[in-house]
Amino acid sequence: MNPIYLFFHKTGSPPWFYRFSGLLIPWLWAGFILLTAIGLYLGLLVAPADYQQGESVRIMYVHVPAAWMSMMIYGLMAIMGFIALVWRIRIMEVMVISSAPVGAAFTIIALITGSLWGRPTWGTYWVWDARLTSELVLLFLYFGVIALYNSFDEPRKAARAASLMAIVGAINLPIIHYSVLWWNTLHQGSSIGTSGNSIHPSMLWPLLYMAIAFKLYYGANLLSRARLRLLKQDHRKRWVQDLLAKENQ
Amino acid sequence: MSHTPFILASYLISTAVLLWAALAPVFNKRGLLQQLKARQARMDKTQ
Repeated sequence: MNPIYLFFHKTGSPPWFYRFSGLLIPWLWAGFILLTAIGLYLGLLVAPADYQQGESVRIMYVHVPAAWMSMMIYGLMAIMGFIALVWRIRIMEVMVISSAPVGAAFTIIALITGSLWGRPTWGTYWVWDARLTSELVLLFLYFGVIALYNSFDEPRKAARAASLMAIVGAINLPIIHYSVLWWNTLHQGSSIGTSGNSIHPSMLWPLLYMAIAFKLYYGANLLSRARLRLLKQDHRKRWVQDLLAKENQ
Repeated sequence: MSHTPFILASYLISTAVLLWAALAPVFNKRGLLQQLKARQARMDKTQ
């Protein structure tokens, strides 16, 4: 069998996934800590203050990557939810529901840090602007997915319902992204895009380091949560009993 | 207006949220493993 197919085939097996993710998690945490340290050093100590925003631009090094993550995680949840519904892969169901609290955490960070940046820059903590409101809707969607999952007793039924909600809710992602173009908003448009960016490299690099660091954080946290959920679901199965017996020795 | 309190609050709140999200599964796993081990011990005793 093709090694890539074999890898995906193996990933579908809970015991193999549990072992493999256990090896990966420490590396992801190490990468996250290293890149965060570099990103914070560059962002807080090396990068200059902005000529318009002043020192408050330093909030951007956490706000922007968190906002990117909030959208990326929801997009991944919709894709994984689709795979879970079509191919009935249990690991994907587990990944959808394990992603939701991490995505909600990044959305909370994006909303709070954006609000703290808005006060000195716009003169207000909050406005019912299209970008801010659609991001708040995203937070409610994350809460909705978590609440819907918890409202079922049977985990596989719960995961299917949560997957469906993740897919339907993905309609909010283009709304968030294009809100600054479709409506007159206080929130500025994108400074980084496929057609180039308007940020000086001294400010761009810390942003990119933090963006990669947050992706590693998501990977580590997602795998930790998925492992826990698999243990809970499979606690009567042989592989978990063997694992416990091994730990008891 | 000094921007320092806003910057500090942003980083402190972000750290707190990320820490909470990272530690929650660790504590939950510890609790679950203790529960499973206790159950296993009870079952071994009855057999």
